[in-house]
Amino acid sequence: MCSRRRPGLLALAAPAIIFALGACRPAERTSAAELARLPWDSVLVRARGTTVTWRMWRGDPSVNAFVDRWVAPRVKERYGITLTAVEGQGPEIVNQLVLEREAKARGSADLVWINGETFGNLRRENLLDGPWAGTLPNARYVDSASPIVRRDFGQDPAGYESPWGRVQFTLIYDSARTPDPPRNVAALGKWILAHPGRFTHDQQFTGVAFLKVLLYALGGGVQQYQGGFDARRYADGSARVFEWLEHHRSAFWRQGKTYPPGVAELHRLFANREVDFSMSYNPNEVVTKVRQGILPTTARPLLLQDGTIANTHFVGIPFNAPHAAGAMVVANFLLSPEAQLEKQRPAVWADGTVLSRDRLPAEWAARFARLAGDPHALSPDSLAKYARPEVSPLYHERLAADWRARVRQGGE
Amino acid sequence: MNRASRRGLLAALAVALPVLIGLGYSVLASLGFTGPGAAGFEPGRVAAVLREPVVWSGLAWSLWVAAASTAVAAAGAVLVAVLFRGGGRGDRAARLFALLPLPIPHLAAAVAGLLLLGQSGLLSRLLAALGLLSSPSEMPALVYDRAGLGLILTLSWKEFPFLALVAFSVLATRGGRLEEVARTLGATPVAVFRRVTWPLLWRGLLPATVAVFVFVASTYEATAVLAPSDPLALPLLTLERYTDADLSRRGDAFVLVLLGMAVSLLAVAAHEWARSRWDRYEP
Repeated sequence: MCSRRRPGLLALAAPAIIFALGACRPAERTSAAELARLPWDSVLVRARGTTVTWRMWRGDPSVNAFVDRWVAPRVKERYGITLTAVEGQGPEIVNQLVLEREAKARGSADLVWINGETFGNLRRENLLDGPWAGTLPNARYVDSASPIVRRDFGQDPAGYESPWGRVQFTLIYDSARTPDPPRNVAALGKWILAHPGRFTHDQQFTGVAFLKVLLYALGGGVQQYQGGFDARRYADGSARVFEWLEHHRSAFWRQGKTYPPGVAELHRLFANREVDFSMSYNPNEVVTKVRQGILPTTARPLLLQDGTIANTHFVGIPFNAPHAAGAMVVANFLLSPEAQLEKQRPAVWADGTVLSRDRLPAEWAARFARLAGDPHALSPDSLAKYARPEVSPLYHERLAADWRARVRQGGE
Repeated sequence: MNRASRRGLLAALAVALPVLIGLGYSVLASLGFTGPGAAGFEPGRVAAVLREPVVWSGLAWSLWVAAASTAVAAAGAVLVAVLFRGGGRGDRAARLFALLPLPIPHLAAAVAGLLLLGQSGLLSRLLAALGLLSSPSEMPALVYDRAGLGLILTLSWKEFPFLALVAFSVLATRGGRLEEVARTLGATPVAVFRRVTWPLLWRGLLPATVAVFVFVASTYEATAVLAPSDPLALPLLTLERYTDADLSRRGDAFVLVLLGMAVSLLAVAAHEWARSRWDRYEP
């Protein structure tokens, strides 16, 4: 009786165990590194008819609309590629790929939207396919002279990721409420002390970017933090950041005892007039958020003249991407002057281009120059003037961890 | 073991298997054998995580929120069940209204809580318009607050109909006849409530209450929307570690998962123990 029953138990458990161990074998795939050695036409042929799954941050309706309603139909029509965007950003991408490798499972994404510490983690764990990015036909237009596009948080992309957009940190203020806003960190400090309870930052990526702006401004500029992580420099610089925070904290929103979870909540506090500043890693977020009715029409971006951090975001191809050829074709399309121009239009997403006007055909350079200005947007010249590159992601990691331990937990 | 109980065991195993796999994986990941950032056997991680004050303050905070919201929801459920137990149209309507929050997703409830209770929320504007506050910002902090009042209010409101549903059915199926017997034996209305209605209700409600407590202690969505940054609730700390920019800290999340699981198991075990004690006195 028992012996007849036991296989039943096993049969029941077997599918679950097999599933858990990820016994589904990955299909044979041609890596992006191999494809990069083939002529582009043959990559196009291999890409046709494939489905490219793009794991990306899906938190902004304007970004989603650009990808789903502008990019996807065009790559379908021109290259026969079905593009599907799925949710997942930064750390989730890394975790997902680690788990897929452990389970020896078929890759669930062909393209991932990454930069900074995510790129660093993916490279350290050998989870990216490459090099391939330099062989894309449109890579010739990329502004590789700019340190902000050429490096990713101080790291060399080395062909393992292809740039597709550029952003810069800005504060956001309301010109009706604060007609004469502070324009550097020292003035901001004075403003905070004079207006208790009206300033804060969030706990996530944008908040840490603000801490890095403080690090650059109070620690003597970005230059000394370049060339990799230096523990002594970090200790000196971060001490000044935490001293500054300690000095101003009791004048922060809710006396600096609690912080909004993310930047979306900070926008809400700003729009509801609980605080007088918000911030963003995209200088044109004001443009799109005003159009969406999330921020008041009097909201304006504000560059701190001590310099603000600019960085580039990239797309990478995971080591197990089932359709690397399709992913390369999409990455190349994202770099096309046409897609870059559309993406930069204020009504679309207002994301900065990574292309150099000097390298573009004259006709396209002119179209970029004619890009309609928006009263809520900063001029490219002033953006460029105060742009400072990112430094090693270790500075970001350490600042985030130390802020959590030293400032956030000291809330009482 | 007879055939029926063996089938029962099989079914239970099938249900438990995903949990057991998750448990096994979490143990392995806590020890550094697997998972993001795993670097081989590191026995020190569990002790290191459990030595962090932020873990215990987060756990204590989550338990406080779970206990308070479960208590408020259960009290509300008992009250509504006792007050509106009749068969009249008014009572039936009241019972129906009490169930309205049931289908609302937790996230929607949390966002509603935020828009209602925030310092720039609807309530503060209403009180300011009525002249009770001189400006909306004078509203006491009910969201992102250290006591978690906004979160407790939101979760109580969301869990209340579930407990109310259980309370209605306990009274409807077992209450009436027992109470009638007590009354014919000469019990006063107070005595009937104290000796019959109340014991029936709380015993019937206890399993559901434990389920609500365990759920609330580890719920993420509403907590992410309404909880303060310090203390950091255990579910928020768990996800923060799992997505830490520093890969080597991601294994901490599995230690926290096991800690959360231990709390849930303790709550269930306590309930089983209590049940077995009073079952001895039941005929």
